[in-house]
Amino acid sequence: MLDKIIIDGLSFALPLFIMAIGGIYSERSGIINLALEGLQGAGAFVGALAAVFLMQSFGANSSIPYYAAIFFAMIGGMLYSMLHALLCVKFKANQVISGVVINILAMALTVFLTKIVNRIAFGAPSDKFELGVSERWTIPVLSEIPIVGAVFKDIYPFEIIIIIVAIIAWYVLYKTKYGMHLRACGDNPHAVDAAGIDVAKIRFTAVMVSGALSGLAGMCFAYSISAKYSSAIYVGYGYLSIAALIFGNWKIIPTLAACILFGFANSAGYQLVKAAGLPSSYSDLIMVLPYVLTLLLLVFFSKHNDAPKSLGEIYDKGKR
Amino acid sequence: MSEYIVEMKNITKRFPGIVANDNVTIQIKKGEVYALLGENGAGKSTLMSMLFGMYEPDEGEIYVRGKKEKISSPSYATELNIGMVHQHFKLVSNYTIAENIIMGLEPTNKFLGFIPYVDIKSSNKKIAELSKQYGLEVDPTKKIQDTNVSIQQRVEILKMLYREAEILIFDEPTAVLTPQEIEFLLEIIRGLKAAGKTIILITHKLEEIKQIADRCAILNRGKLIDVLDVATTSTKEMANKMVGREVSFEIDKTPANYGDVVLSVENITVKDENKFEVVKNASFSVRSGEILAIAGVSGNGQIEIADAITGLVPISSGKVILNGKEITHDTIREHINAGISYIPEDRQTYGLVLDFSLSDNLALKNYNQAPFSSKGIINHKKFEEFGEKLIQEYDIRSGQGTKTIVRSMSGGNQQKAIIAREVEQNSSLTIFVQPTRGLDIGAIENIHNQIIAERDKGRAILLISLELDEVMALADTIAVIYNGEILKVADAKSLSVEEVGQFMMGVTE
Repeated sequence: MLDKIIIDGLSFALPLFIMAIGGIYSERSGIINLALEGLQGAGAFVGALAAVFLMQSFGANSSIPYYAAIFFAMIGGMLYSMLHALLCVKFKANQVISGVVINILAMALTVFLTKIVNRIAFGAPSDKFELGVSERWTIPVLSEIPIVGAVFKDIYPFEIIIIIVAIIAWYVLYKTKYGMHLRACGDNPHAVDAAGIDVAKIRFTAVMVSGALSGLAGMCFAYSISAKYSSAIYVGYGYLSIAALIFGNWKIIPTLAACILFGFANSAGYQLVKAAGLPSSYSDLIMVLPYVLTLLLLVFFSKHNDAPKSLGEIYDKGKR
Repeated sequence: MSEYIVEMKNITKRFPGIVANDNVTIQIKKGEVYALLGENGAGKSTLMSMLFGMYEPDEGEIYVRGKKEKISSPSYATELNIGMVHQHFKLVSNYTIAENIIMGLEPTNKFLGFIPYVDIKSSNKKIAELSKQYGLEVDPTKKIQDTNVSIQQRVEILKMLYREAEILIFDEPTAVLTPQEIEFLLEIIRGLKAAGKTIILITHKLEEIKQIADRCAILNRGKLIDVLDVATTSTKEMANKMVGREVSFEIDKTPANYGDVVLSVENITVKDENKFEVVKNASFSVRSGEILAIAGVSGNGQIEIADAITGLVPISSGKVILNGKEITHDTIREHINAGISYIPEDRQTYGLVLDFSLSDNLALKNYNQAPFSSKGIINHKKFEEFGEKLIQEYDIRSGQGTKTIVRSMSGGNQQKAIIAREVEQNSSLTIFVQPTRGLDIGAIENIHNQIIAERDKGRAILLISLELDEVMALADTIAVIYNGEILKVADAKSLSVEEVGQFMMGVTE
């Protein structure tokens, strides 16, 4: 059972983590991003769409549709996030409202398009794309270690991709020019502007990064938890990752810890329900567990919170 | 090449409702310290913002090194070797000093030959060298949020030097500094001049100009009044030209006419959030028609006394009595209604709602009373009428009258607005904390006269000031605070400046 908790916990925590990194990019640049929920759904829709068409030509057992789906989900999330960037950066809209609108729009649009595509392309009245569950890898030797070995057992390939992308994202944010400028934008955009750097460009691209990473996360959820793409993807993973990044103080490493905590809270909850022999309807209740945990933790730890200083502030050159 | 490094010819710049610069021409020589003198809102900063590329002039031409230039952005100004230290520093608080300085021009290196990264180590070394070269000691690895304003200013100067600026613009550099820090800054400026830099200094402090400037251009309400040779001009002459009328450095003060005790503070103790006693057992009283000034070095508990009397911070022991009624633990509104007016030290945080209009700010303390509102519904027309009246009476200058957003007003006019609002309360006690901080002499004179006029109306005035000159000029009674304790309360006439200075340093006998 412990193995199962670790395996499921990680496969839930990692997509959450990569989405939270996206959120960190956006918010450290100064743009509030409540749109993560919508971005992951829209990204996953594009990825799933690519997958169902590719499965027709490559067959359901080929791994090409799987990797293509992940790639297209990132592109889709990125393109859709440009709407948020456009509203917030170019048109200086209220960032909270823009985020909420994007979430609602994503859900309505993707559910509608899923039905249309199914009817026209496949002639079947369905509101989901069947994807199947991803294959899983087990690393020999390492996975034999008691308890810790579970980390190397039954790994989804996307977990490896996430870890690689996360390392790159961490490096870019903390070690490169772009990352330095991005984090400075969230603290004092006037200083960035005075240094001759285009604040709008930095913020726009930061939101695009959050879109791409959210799309990646959404696709991972679709391939692991639900094995299909449907409106069930909008159950609040995006909000949970926002909670994780706030709890992680807008820093990548503490956010990873928060995501792992949430992941384990989630998987342990499922196992408890199962062990207690409760009906499956109780497992829905368990989904609430990470949120309750967040709420409690935030009550105790939010005093030390250190949000980006200019978060949500519309950058206006003339303001003193 | 002409002898001038910068020439701004016939510059006009308009903002909604205001002409910030009206046909101004200035010519600056290479290697000189050129001062721009003028009251708040005279157009000095606007003029320099155009040289630095933050605004573009509506009319007129700018020549740099004899060549006509269209400076459309700060980055282009930087390319022309022009740098500017703004009045409000532009620094990233959670970055180190070195990171702030190099931003935009980061030295990069390649990890494993192909992965680029910002080379912080070599930057730290370079900044340390640069700071040594110009005598601007800073620790490059320290974060901005852990430094004081004086260090932050040095960082801003280093930012310009790192970008190889030759023409350095300083916007009111001494407004935020202590006297010792000012001395140090002037020393730095002399050093920069010696290194061949051209320096443009925006200020309204005559003393500084006298000390370091070569020439001085005087602006008043957007117009260039005169360009003077500093060595041969007296400060009095400069002051008169700047304000546009005769300024008296002396204050006309009739003898005080004391009435009953209005405020009586009895043995109060105030603790800060760390439970540390910042005011210890302080007692004093203020009579009607009296100005009691609390003198002291910054941070000795004087601000906390004002906050305690107005009810902004809780009092742990002792009593505050106003007109015979104890108000120690009343709410802030009860304090206001009991008759206390308050001009706070930090006018932008505690005095005004910066993004509200002028008329809203002027009605901030009365909005809930007739005639401004009835039965919980606000009557905006009355706000406007009241605003118009105060703007007239107190000569508050702003771009769009009562509708002006207060943030866009100059510091002097913001302060005028607060004083207008507080004086109109007709309170029996008015507390002024640092009322002239950051203001120019014209405005200071105006405010000093107003304080005395209030006293002569029979109000009790509590003045808290860090400027010893101000205390000596205005006070009828002086109380000196040191380390939270009131060391001395005495008639102002019985104390010399030196004696007060001694008490301020904690010397009792």
